[in-house]
Amino acid sequence: MQTKTTKTILLNEWRLLAADRTLRIVLPLFIVLFAYALANGMAWVRFQEYTVQVVREGNVQRTEGLERELTAIQNGAQPSSPFRDPRNANVMGGRRGARAVALDPGPLTALAVGQSDLLPYYYDVSIYTNETTFLQNGEVENPLNLMVGRFDLAFVAIYLLPLLVLAMGFNVLSGEREQGTLALTLSQPVSARRFVTAKLAFRAILVLAAAIGVSLIGILISGGFGSTGPLGRVLLWCAALTVYALFWFALTAWVNSLGRSSSWNATVLVGAWLVLVVVLPAAINIAAGLLHPLPSRVEMITAQREASNDAVNRRSELLARYLEDHPELTGGDATDEPNRAALAWAATDAVNQRLEEVSERHRMGRDEQNELIRRYRFFSPALLVQELLIDAAGTGDARFARFQSQVRAYAGQWQSFFVPAILAGEKMSADVLPTLPGFNFVDESLGDVGQRATVPLSALIILVGLVGTGAWVGLGKVRGAG
Amino acid sequence: MESGQESRIENTSEVQTVDASETLADSAGATTAPVLEARSLSKRYDDVEAVVGLDLRVGPSEIYCLLGPNGAGKTTTIHLFLGFLEPTSGSAHVMGLDVAEEPLKSKTHLAYVPEQVMLYRNLSGLENLAYFAALGGKESLPTDRLTEILGEAGLQADAVHSRVSAYSKGMRQKVGIAIAIAKEADALLLDEPTSGLDPEASNEFSELLEQLKDRGVAVLMATHDLFRAKETGTRVGIMRHGRLVAEMTTDEIGHADLERIYLEHMHD
Repeated sequence: MQTKTTKTILLNEWRLLAADRTLRIVLPLFIVLFAYALANGMAWVRFQEYTVQVVREGNVQRTEGLERELTAIQNGAQPSSPFRDPRNANVMGGRRGARAVALDPGPLTALAVGQSDLLPYYYDVSIYTNETTFLQNGEVENPLNLMVGRFDLAFVAIYLLPLLVLAMGFNVLSGEREQGTLALTLSQPVSARRFVTAKLAFRAILVLAAAIGVSLIGILISGGFGSTGPLGRVLLWCAALTVYALFWFALTAWVNSLGRSSSWNATVLVGAWLVLVVVLPAAINIAAGLLHPLPSRVEMITAQREASNDAVNRRSELLARYLEDHPELTGGDATDEPNRAALAWAATDAVNQRLEEVSERHRMGRDEQNELIRRYRFFSPALLVQELLIDAAGTGDARFARFQSQVRAYAGQWQSFFVPAILAGEKMSADVLPTLPGFNFVDESLGDVGQRATVPLSALIILVGLVGTGAWVGLGKVRGAG
Repeated sequence: MESGQESRIENTSEVQTVDASETLADSAGATTAPVLEARSLSKRYDDVEAVVGLDLRVGPSEIYCLLGPNGAGKTTTIHLFLGFLEPTSGSAHVMGLDVAEEPLKSKTHLAYVPEQVMLYRNLSGLENLAYFAALGGKESLPTDRLTEILGEAGLQADAVHSRVSAYSKGMRQKVGIAIAIAKEADALLLDEPTSGLDPEASNEFSELLEQLKDRGVAVLMATHDLFRAKETGTRVGIMRHGRLVAEMTTDEIGHADLERIYLEHMHD
């Protein structure tokens, strides 16, 4: 009986929506927006893929150039410049032989560009790699993009999907009351609870079919299904979208259950959207900046200059101290007459140490900011779903932090390879090139993503549960059409 | 009704005071089980007593007209039978089911025609009927049968597939009656159904009620129209300040009697 009633309401909704001109316009409009956002995300993926390809080709060309020059020198040719002699370890390990490392786009980047256009996804690794390397953004970006965020599917889902839900549900009950059909409906053996739930369920199916349908098409077109472990990410993406949409549907049901007019419902729901999606995230962001301010980049630059000047003046002293601190690099024998490269390296190391102190304060400030945001994100479903969507896409902080961490480790390997040779004044040959440390990014596992998603997804589900309970109780009190 | 409280119940043209627990149906010796029954039914809104200790029984093939001024409690009574309101005390029963305890089950026996039958404007009369009839819990009826029912309710054949937005009030009310027919409701609750209808449409409406009565449907109709109540109703109850102050069978009184009794009670 109840199933039949639900089917009857769903069928009638189909008839009503098919006959309603407004919804016939709004829904396709949103599908167009979804499609445009997808195209935008795919354009970014193509750009990132192209950049990564150029970076990797640059590595090959650089290595081949070094190999040619070293072979020529071995055959009696002269280096192009004594300061660019690739036989010197500080040249081969320095900028001439630097290795560029790049992060491939996340599996679902076409859906959510996330931090891809803000955080660097490629670095030049050399013996001079230090903390300033990680503070730079490699891309020249359209400032409007940086200001408003990229118009991708995640943006549409987080900001505009709620508006579609509100447009489709703000008068789900009040509209029936205002047009007078509620009296006739509730005189039938159907409760307001079942009536509203069925009506909203139909709308939810339409909204989610559009959002998830476009997402799946995007994944299919961008080849996301072909990469490693995307299915779990796709499921997480769909789950996040579904729960987020359900939150807004539950909220519309709750507001409708209060028995006010459609215009009142619309005002309250748009206000809720403004607070939960726009104001709260911005307020949390501002609070994070005010309570845990980051040191200025100028401070980093000043520190670098001061350390450089100081290091240049005290290079011999620094080298002696460096060799005392790292006896393993020289086999325990300090050089009496240090070479110029060794002196330069000692100065570089001193600068790096000074920079690490400043960058440590940066890191602490950022960690504190993240902690504050993590603590208060539970007040905004938009923040929770954003975290989930970009994490599912592989464009969130965590994957970039993982990349950065592996690049740091790789830079350490690179230095460990070259510094002993610099200190010992060893000459490099073409034979060394194939033995240079290589970089292979080990991507995060699905388990890592799932573990991170547990808290925000659970929080979102709890929010849906709370709001849904409010709606359930409220609708239970609706008995008549008054 | 609160214990000991006495309501003047007038029977026929002669004033007769009886205990409120003994309604006219009882005194008339109605032996069939009532389709609609109010037992000491009361509803209070804050300081206002909307319905006070109402005892009422409407049997099959009866048309019971509730008369009274605005605010007398007629609509509240109907809403109590529909389960739209929760009684403060007492109970409303439909086919023996307590409405407050089994609201959905009791509604399977009811059909409701409000003063303004509001349907989905973008759908046709037929689509509206198909929807509400299915929502009423009956098996899905074929389109031919639904069209036939609309015809039985008096809707012109060329209006069946037209959008309801083009319907007059009378046409919408016919769809309301068609819903009751399709649902095979045991009881029909009508709230000022003829208000705003022209005399011809009112007559048609009365004929429809007669047909439903002949099918055994119990009708409870709230109305201001004394003439229509006398012509259509089998019994009439007069409400004032939430109380049923008089009750009579219509075949034993004339139009003038009904008007006189009504006015007497309004001027008490």
